[in-house]
Amino acid sequence: MSDRIVAQESRLGYRLLAPAFLVIVLLILYPIMFNLYLSFFDVQLDGNKTWVGVSNYLKLLSDQTFYHSLGTTLIYLAGTVVGTTVLGLAVALLLNEEFPLRNLVRGLVLLPYFAPVISVVFGWQFIFDPVNGIYNHVMVEELGLMSERQNVIGEPDSAIWVVIVFDVWKHFPIAFLLILAKLQSIPKDQYEAAAIDGYSAWGRFIHVTLPELRFVLGTVILLRLIWNLNRFEDVYLLAPNVETLPIYIYYRAFTGVIDQGFAAAVAVVQLVFLAGLIWLYVRKVLKW
Amino acid sequence: MQPAIKSLKSLAVTLGALLLTSSLVQAATEIEFWTNQTQSDRMKIIETLASTFEALNNDIKIKVVPVDENEMATQMAAAAAAGSLPNVIEAGSELLLAFGEEGIVDIESNGKMLQKIGKKRFFSGALNMLQAPNGKDFYGVPMHGWIQGIWYRKDWFAERGLAAPDTWENIEKAARELTDKSKNQYGILIGTKPEGYTEQVFTHFALSNGARQFNAKGELTFNSPQMLETLKYYQTLAQFNPPGPQTWRARDYYLQGKMGMFFYSTYIMDDLALAEVAKGSLTSEHFEGLSGADFDADLVKNTGFVPVITNKTAASYGVLQGLAALKSTPAETTATEKFVEYLYDPYAYITFLHMAPGGMNPMLADIPDHPNYLKDPKGIFKTYGTDAIKTIINGFENIQTFTVVDGKAFPESGQIFAKQIIPRMVYSVVFEGVSPEQAIARAEMEMQDLIGR
Repeated sequence: MSDRIVAQESRLGYRLLAPAFLVIVLLILYPIMFNLYLSFFDVQLDGNKTWVGVSNYLKLLSDQTFYHSLGTTLIYLAGTVVGTTVLGLAVALLLNEEFPLRNLVRGLVLLPYFAPVISVVFGWQFIFDPVNGIYNHVMVEELGLMSERQNVIGEPDSAIWVVIVFDVWKHFPIAFLLILAKLQSIPKDQYEAAAIDGYSAWGRFIHVTLPELRFVLGTVILLRLIWNLNRFEDVYLLAPNVETLPIYIYYRAFTGVIDQGFAAAVAVVQLVFLAGLIWLYVRKVLKW
Repeated sequence: MQPAIKSLKSLAVTLGALLLTSSLVQAATEIEFWTNQTQSDRMKIIETLASTFEALNNDIKIKVVPVDENEMATQMAAAAAAGSLPNVIEAGSELLLAFGEEGIVDIESNGKMLQKIGKKRFFSGALNMLQAPNGKDFYGVPMHGWIQGIWYRKDWFAERGLAAPDTWENIEKAARELTDKSKNQYGILIGTKPEGYTEQVFTHFALSNGARQFNAKGELTFNSPQMLETLKYYQTLAQFNPPGPQTWRARDYYLQGKMGMFFYSTYIMDDLALAEVAKGSLTSEHFEGLSGADFDADLVKNTGFVPVITNKTAASYGVLQGLAALKSTPAETTATEKFVEYLYDPYAYITFLHMAPGGMNPMLADIPDHPNYLKDPKGIFKTYGTDAIKTIINGFENIQTFTVVDGKAFPESGQIFAKQIIPRMVYSVVFEGVSPEQAIARAEMEMQDLIGR
């Protein structure tokens, strides 16, 4: 009797799971497997595919621009993840203090996050326009900090930094939001106890706030890593000359004469990279 | 009661069947047309042409989709991968050749359309640019084209006693003379961003130096002393560009009076004349407090145009846009052919060309003499004069690109264009510190890889 109930319940369980399972298979597993499959072929525009084995991967390993884009991605990830986390934390600590109009300021801080990407990108491009932009006008003519006008977004060496600053500015509010929510739940008495033990403000931050925030910070960093490893639109729209991995893949897959087999191979590498990063982080940093 | 219901039922069934069959009969063939003309005013004209066609052929529906010219190859790749290619596209000749080689163009259908419109009516230079390597098939039908040249400030040149920028020497001298970075003034605009515009400007210089991609035997001869000389010269000129990588959008600096010369197609005639119109309404009379604005009342009058550049040889450069039918179902192909033929009807064709007078020049030799042709709605042909227009159009008889050598087209050149190897080469030399020798060798290697020979 009880066996029958268990069997029935497990059958019901499977049935309840089925829709979610189906969606995951169709929308996530299938594309990943198909991408893996494509990476072993030379793909033609008209749909013809020729098996080429691992030659796409070999080509990738000997491609200088691939290593360059890998390097760019690492700089981009490090800059944006550290930037958003630190700025988000700082702003959250500041706005956790009592002051007049606090709620209004908290709302305003969120604005960059909600503004549509394309409109702020155009704004930034106009600010940095080498001939008409306000940035060059101020730096060269008003302050005299630079001797010559520069195309900060156009030059590949400086563009990566603009892209990082842009991302930090646009996405720190999400870090701020998550951290602030946790800050508000830290009991006051812990701070009082630490104060009695003789800790200064800095000591209280190190020994009370940070340990309490550990998991939130972990989540923020993890999410930002995953998002930004895959981030396409911000970078491509603002400075298409900054070739992070997703943009490198896009150029290979869709610009000019397509090389989709090769692009699929890069995507597989990116997936492995992403999976490895998450594993490392979960195991070594969060120790889940 | 019963019979009444019965008859009612049968009536309903009959009606239903009737409706069903009539809707079957009326089921229109829908064809998708991808156009490069993305601006909303141009879209409106194309939509109007399409709906006129639909009114004449109510069994055909046309879906017009605007695709940016720099995105065309990308979007086609995506559509091909998804199995949702359009039925007919408007695109540059280089791309059409590349698509033709990829095997997605319907050669038979294009041949039929050319025959119906009248092959002899087309400029022969234009037809050459869309010819398949076998010498008899065509990868598209020439639609319209533009000529590229240097547009420059005649008044500034006169003030400083500079000669018109028609030779390498004159161009460099003027660019140097007109650049004053401390005053935010720049001598010239040439393309340095890795995109189509850069390739167009570079090609113009390369052709004027006798440099070629292929020789008449079809061998790749990109890495030549002439090409290297061109690249080095281009690197020098780039110093007089506005800062950083630039593309055609920077022509605005010219309209603002911050630049002396810029490479552009005859499309600018439209923009220059429109600036003239805009300036008429943008005055302090209409806008209080508007002072010191950058609208130059005499910009059109003070602008000169040089289409032919000479170093070792004289060269003009232009781009041809063609229509190509892609492989589709028989019903769609028939509909596509009808639609394309309609677009070459003189009235429809002239309406299309008038979207950008000067920019879109006819590929049918008899059109310039059509009574309607010189009467464009914005009166731009009148501003410039009939002779200037006819000079531009006749340039199409001997237009040059890398694609055609001695009247023979090399579709590989289209593939190279689509992969943007040349603009990337320019970019690496100007901004990444790669030496011209190295960059050119790498570019040739990439080309070799691509075309597999």
